[in-house]
Amino acid sequence: MSYYDVDSILTDSEKLPCTFELEVPGLGVLEGNPGENIKAGTQLDLPLWLGEMLSIGARLGTSRLVTLDIPSALSERVLNALKADPRTIDLRSLAPHFYSLSERVLELFEEEEMVDVLLNTFAKRAAEIADHAHNPKGAMGQGVDFLRGLDEMERQLFRVAHEGAKEVRVWAGEAKKRP
Amino acid sequence: MDIDDILASVDQPDASTPQSTALDHQLLTRFWIAERGVSELLPWPAGLMDRTMERVRRQIESIEDLAASSSDPYSTATNSNSNNNPTLNLKLSILQTDLSRTQYLVRSLLRHRLSKLSKHSMHYLLLVSPGPSSSPQNNNDNDDDENDPHPQDSIPPLPPTSSNPDTAAPLSPQELAFLHAHQSLLAKHYASSFLSSFPPQLRRLDDNAGGTSMVQAPETKEVVFVRCLVDGVRVVVPAADAGEDDIYATAMRVGDVAVVRWEGVRDAWGGGRWRFYNTF
Amino acid sequence: MAFPLPRGITPPEISFLAEMEMVSILPRQRLEGLELLGGPIEPLLPPRRATLPLWLALLLKRQRRANILPPSWLHPESLSLILDIETQHGDSKGAFSPPPPLPNQPSAQEHYQKRPVAIPHYTPDGNRYFPSSPFLPQNVAVDQGPVGEAPRLPFHWLEVGTMLLEAASDDLVDPDQTRRLLKELREVRSSKMRSGVDVLDSAAVGGNVVSLTGVGAMEIGEGRGFISGVVDGLRRIGASKEQARREQMAGEMGSGGYGATQDDDDDDDMEF
Repeated sequence: MSYYDVDSILTDSEKLPCTFELEVPGLGVLEGNPGENIKAGTQLDLPLWLGEMLSIGARLGTSRLVTLDIPSALSERVLNALKADPRTIDLRSLAPHFYSLSERVLELFEEEEMVDVLLNTFAKRAAEIADHAHNPKGAMGQGVDFLRGLDEMERQLFRVAHEGAKEVRVWAGEAKKRP
Repeated sequence: MDIDDILASVDQPDASTPQSTALDHQLLTRFWIAERGVSELLPWPAGLMDRTMERVRRQIESIEDLAASSSDPYSTATNSNSNNNPTLNLKLSILQTDLSRTQYLVRSLLRHRLSKLSKHSMHYLLLVSPGPSSSPQNNNDNDDDENDPHPQDSIPPLPPTSSNPDTAAPLSPQELAFLHAHQSLLAKHYASSFLSSFPPQLRRLDDNAGGTSMVQAPETKEVVFVRCLVDGVRVVVPAADAGEDDIYATAMRVGDVAVVRWEGVRDAWGGGRWRFYNTF
Repeated sequence: MAFPLPRGITPPEISFLAEMEMVSILPRQRLEGLELLGGPIEPLLPPRRATLPLWLALLLKRQRRANILPPSWLHPESLSLILDIETQHGDSKGAFSPPPPLPNQPSAQEHYQKRPVAIPHYTPDGNRYFPSSPFLPQNVAVDQGPVGEAPRLPFHWLEVGTMLLEAASDDLVDPDQTRRLLKELREVRSSKMRSGVDVLDSAAVGGNVVSLTGVGAMEIGEGRGFISGVVDGLRRIGASKEQARREQMAGEMGSGGYGATQDDDDDDDMEF
């Protein structure tokens, strides 16, 4: 996590399912009931930074305030779909910072299979991104849908790949430099 | 002992020979590419830069002398004289092109170093600072309120200026001065625009409360592109914890061009052994 | 911002670098030797050939003061041969054609011994110095190349080829054919570069390398941002596996460390 990095700050506010193990007085505000208590067993989606903080007890093995769960963006169903064909999934609709979120989730949970699925997903989609970025005319047809579904990290990748190809074309005199 | 090593003892280049100029030019070029390609600031090559700047200075003088001789009123007075040296303009344009190319290298190198310094200013200040960041009470000389901490207090003191050229300093003296001035200005600017209205304990620029340090170091795990110039340069996996040892992994062969983590090859660079591979 | 350029040298800078390559010229006028900041320049004495940095050769060529002798690899015949090597596997997944060997590479010793090395082998700090591109004679014209050896694309092939086509096409054997072949080579290799993404995941693991041997400078310039982005992304996603992998590696290496032999298995580095 990087202090000044906007993407990692935004990732911090992605939601994580949390279950309260204890009744907490006065924390009803999280549920939209200010002044009330929050009951044990309540399930809530909390931002990553808050969930992480409340779950610290659980990780230390002392009294657990909340237990965390894996977010829906990385559910079994999504992982199965990614295993089947990583290129057809709209990652952006799952989470705009899909991979950054995964990174944080993988710090919290030991999920060996998830790592492998995500690594494979990223690599396969990167190859597809390279092909689209190399096309000087930009994306067409099916490519538009694919590119629309890129997460932030992938968009950045598309940008640098496209710029790399373009700079060489500009150098070779095949393309005009931006004014 | 290698025959080359024996030759080396008689082959030590004298900095004033044309051959050593060519060599320094190659070293400067290699250094420039590396500085452009690596996330971290590389140690300042003081000797190389001193020699280069001295040559640039002398070259500018000789170009000026040459140009003066061509516009000398006594020599242009007669046509025959200007015909004496028909290649003078060609020579001048070659010398000037060569000079601009070297100046470009130096300028690009210095500017890129400054951009690294300003991007990770606190990191480098802490790196060169002799001690821990100064405590607030030392720095209150011109404060109205003795107990009011300022963002400027986070700035670590500069090391005493050492005149020992043998120590491979990461920064040149000019860069050190730039770094300190830059961070002081930035801290003052932050203070006057918003930090002074924050609670005192939130005004520092080197805080690491909440587990995230405000001091950002460059990422040494980012990859670089290298060409291995000798056999068996090993890629290092640096120790992650204090209790571990570095691991020496894959050995690169001479001629290999590879993508590799910077931390995997930085020791081979840092030890003055940047002759073992070049980056690009 | 002190320097808005991205990390890694950009295409115009790579081109600038390629202009330091030495090429052969046939001068059309005399010029005394010069002491340049880039090193000494030999005197020009027509009809004797001279070897100069490309930028200077182009300067003289543009003023019609010299002709450039193209390097042998730029001959259409050589380019066709190289193109055959690049495409012989029938798919785009093959390796790149091998680059010219370095002077101290075992297979090249013989080949390079005859060539003069203009500069000392030692730096002023007393270190051994090993030159590399653009300071190797990879683009000078040689009358007879090593017999039976296939032509090889030098590191700065695309830049040198493109610049010579632009400024000295009348010195080339068949400029149109050369231009077409260079373009074809570029396309074949560019698609190899893109299909090579698959092997990048091994570079995401500490201690590993992904070999790009044979790739040219401009091609790296083109792919640098993307390759770095993929490897860094894979590293971040796979961070949790890193410690396990490290322990495994430490186990394998055992007490190896410094003492490990230099030539043990290198199977980790893959062809890209």
